[in-house]
Amino acid sequence: MPSTPASASSPALLEVRDLRVHFFTRDGVVRAVDGVDFQVGPAETLGIVGESGSGKTVTSLAVLGLAPPPAKTVSGQILFEGSDLVRKTGPQMSQVRGRRIAMIFQNPTTSLNPIYSVGAQLGEVLMWHERLDRRAAEARAAELLRLVGITDPLARLRQFPHELSGGMKQRVGIARALLCNPALVLADEPTTALDVTIQAQILDLLAELQERLRMSMVLVTHDMGVVARMADRITVMYAGRVCESGDARTIFNAPLHPYTRALLDSLPRVDQSYAAARPKLATIAGRPPNLLDPPRGCRFHDRCPDAIADCARVLPLETSVAPGHTVSCIRRGSQGLAA
Amino acid sequence: MDTHPPSAALAIVPPQRRPPGIWRQGWFRFRRNRGGMLGLGLVCLVTLTALLCWLAPYDPNDQSAMLHGAARAAPSWAHLLGTDRNGYDVLSRVMYGAPTALAVGIGAMVIAAVIGVIIGGVAGYFGGLVDEALMRFAEFFLVVPVFIVILAVVRLFGIMVVGTRLESIPHLNLMAIIALLGLFGWPPIARMARAEFLRLRQAEFVEAAVCIGTTKRDILLRHILPNALPSLIVLIALGIGGAILAEAMVSFLGFGDPKAVSWGQLLYFNYEALKVAPWASLSPGVAIFLTVLGFNLLADGLTDAFNPRLRQ
Amino acid sequence: MTRYIVRRLLFSACLILGVSVILFALINAIGNPIEILLAERPGVTDEIIASVSKYYGLEGNMVDRYFTWLWAILRGDFGTSIIYNQPVSELLVIFGLETLKIQVPAILIAVALAVGAAVVAATRQYSRVDFGVIAGAMLGHSLPGFFVGIVLILVFAYWLGILPSYGAYSTRALLLDSPVADGLWHMVLPVTMLAIFNTATLTLLMRASLVDVLRQDFITAARASGLPERRVVFGHALRNAFIPVLTYLGILFGLMLGTAPVTETVFTWPGLGALYILAIQQLDYPVIMGITMVVTVMLVAATLLTDIAYVAIDPRIRLA
Repeated sequence: MPSTPASASSPALLEVRDLRVHFFTRDGVVRAVDGVDFQVGPAETLGIVGESGSGKTVTSLAVLGLAPPPAKTVSGQILFEGSDLVRKTGPQMSQVRGRRIAMIFQNPTTSLNPIYSVGAQLGEVLMWHERLDRRAAEARAAELLRLVGITDPLARLRQFPHELSGGMKQRVGIARALLCNPALVLADEPTTALDVTIQAQILDLLAELQERLRMSMVLVTHDMGVVARMADRITVMYAGRVCESGDARTIFNAPLHPYTRALLDSLPRVDQSYAAARPKLATIAGRPPNLLDPPRGCRFHDRCPDAIADCARVLPLETSVAPGHTVSCIRRGSQGLAA
Repeated sequence: MDTHPPSAALAIVPPQRRPPGIWRQGWFRFRRNRGGMLGLGLVCLVTLTALLCWLAPYDPNDQSAMLHGAARAAPSWAHLLGTDRNGYDVLSRVMYGAPTALAVGIGAMVIAAVIGVIIGGVAGYFGGLVDEALMRFAEFFLVVPVFIVILAVVRLFGIMVVGTRLESIPHLNLMAIIALLGLFGWPPIARMARAEFLRLRQAEFVEAAVCIGTTKRDILLRHILPNALPSLIVLIALGIGGAILAEAMVSFLGFGDPKAVSWGQLLYFNYEALKVAPWASLSPGVAIFLTVLGFNLLADGLTDAFNPRLRQ
Repeated sequence: MTRYIVRRLLFSACLILGVSVILFALINAIGNPIEILLAERPGVTDEIIASVSKYYGLEGNMVDRYFTWLWAILRGDFGTSIIYNQPVSELLVIFGLETLKIQVPAILIAVALAVGAAVVAATRQYSRVDFGVIAGAMLGHSLPGFFVGIVLILVFAYWLGILPSYGAYSTRALLLDSPVADGLWHMVLPVTMLAIFNTATLTLLMRASLVDVLRQDFITAARASGLPERRVVFGHALRNAFIPVLTYLGILFGLMLGTAPVTETVFTWPGLGALYILAIQQLDYPVIMGITMVVTVMLVAATLLTDIAYVAIDPRIRLA
């Protein structure tokens, strides 16, 4: 775990307030992100954790205004470098994307255009944002490939994506994100599609790069192990809302929200033997709610071991229980909104 | 939190209804597709006209209008779609053209489907050299200018039978056209059949069937074929439309069956009089259009219904 | 890559040979066309038939004749037309150019329009514009070509009187006294008819392909890099979307060429199609064989070209 704790007094680089992103489908409105708040400080790594369908990927895409139709950001603010990104137009966002905020995608095979060479794809970004000519762009691209640990970068620039391994493609993806020295990098499950052995390498690389370039990172993942290694602060999401948010140490050692607890409990432990099927691997019973028609109260209440009757009626709001630590659970002291 | 009901309640459990199979599911999805439903409607309209063509106001070979100078007359109450160059009532001839069109479409596709499924199935089943050879053979038909060759063969066939016994068979020319369309129309079906066969052969349920000892014949007929049907049906629907269009074109050029009442023949007879009697050419033209459109929309709707993944 | 091309060329050559054999056999199965044409005429003796047949190379047994014919073809000699009494190769060039005059512009216009329509529709998916484009394209795709042609003639030539209803050139006064203007004026309707079907079909294909591509991760990634939307659509999406459409271009061209007889009958256009109909009516078999061979070769060439283009554009296939 990185050793630089977040300071509550330094201004946030990115601040998301009450973000709501809804999908307007033929069958109804899916409230994928329904009131999410978080902040990222300078040179800080925020881990956003949640299971599939929690809305974490949509959140990260929405920061860049890239949530795919039929999604729309219906309300909320995304404050970055003095302006609200939600209010920006397409051309204005083009200036932010890739230059100030960049994104690393989950699947390195599908996130590179198969018919263009690596050099062409990297060069294109440089020529557009930094107005470099082809030779300068190629040189800078090679420099970045070296930075992400790719040997013989000039040869790689000529190659096409399908000629590279998964790990190498993801390094290219990382290089692409860093081309213009962004202040913030959004990494959406950057290691999920990779072999386990390569995962460790990539995470090490990301940690090293962040240290060197002093950039902020939002790491979206479902893997608690990844967050444990990389994140300064953690935000736990469930069914489109935030359950708990705090610095990594607190979340791991003293989690408050029942969902966070259950997540941590479900991690297999190295110091226990599961061979005799006792104790069993802990799971969370039930399934995430249907976001077409989310429950009125707390969205976790039907799977929660600590739920009481009120939980089904009162929507918990994120409330601060300690400096830098917020929780949305009425049983842990949150304010609530009666439905 | 205990979410399980007390065991006593489990005693009375209503029997589960079988979930709808792929055909019913497909039908439900199809119903939502407006284009497909329109296509179905058009096809039904044509079929109905074909079945009820004897309700036409005039006999299709009735040229009495010519006798009292009413040939090439504009549409009127006596002749709802007017009369044509030879004094025939256009509406009646168009109605009688419907069964011809369907006979052509369905006849050609039956031939094409049988040949195609057999060849495609054999290719998929045996693989290797047999597969290669058969697929090269199919490719041959893709490269050859099919329409042009059909024209030549129809014409030459017509000459060959002059003076032979075959000449007396009614509508021999039309049947030759149908046969040729079928003989040239099987490659796309063979290709699809082969692809489906290869895909399904590796499906898990086929593996399971083999495991429990199902005979090869049963696997083919009861497992693979029914699952390949949706894609094949789509191709067949498209093919029917295409065959009707092809016959119309062959007849329009003058190589059709002069005794048969087909929409293409109508166009052939009346194209010269386009300026003075446009209704005589437009009516069969519209009929061909609606029929082909109907089958195309139907095929499109069926594709959506059976393969929702392919949709946007 | 060269091995691939060579293999395809060899296969194509076999294909063409195969077609020639079959057609040759068919035509000659019906007997000597000279005999058929001249048989009932008064004053025609067997010697006359024999000498005329010899002049047109119709004597001898089928196998000999086939190889003679094949050898001649390979040297560019397509024989002499029975109807026109001119070298078939000359006829092929004259009529062929007329056919290309309407088909090439039709395809080019169709590609341009289809790309435009597809981009407009795919970038506004589910909107009214999208549905409008789809509906229009489905309509254009299902309208029988010759019906479109007939309606066009009816509306523009007969009712409005602004375009000619037949032929490639005016028989009396040329439009604006210029053969170029006159030719173009006559080309408008036939090209429009061909372009409608081609545009409609290509639009449907391109739109579907583009919609598919726009959903891909690398498009989102390109946007995430800050590239302007125009560049993402035209530089990244369109190029990828064009690949599956490319194969279809070959098929489309083949379809146009194959139905040229119909097109040219509707507009009384003096092209290969019209010549072909005349030839099979009159049993002018050098012309029949000549046109069939030329068309087959053109189709094979089109297929080969699209295959090569496919391999050239998509780098993933090159190594296969």
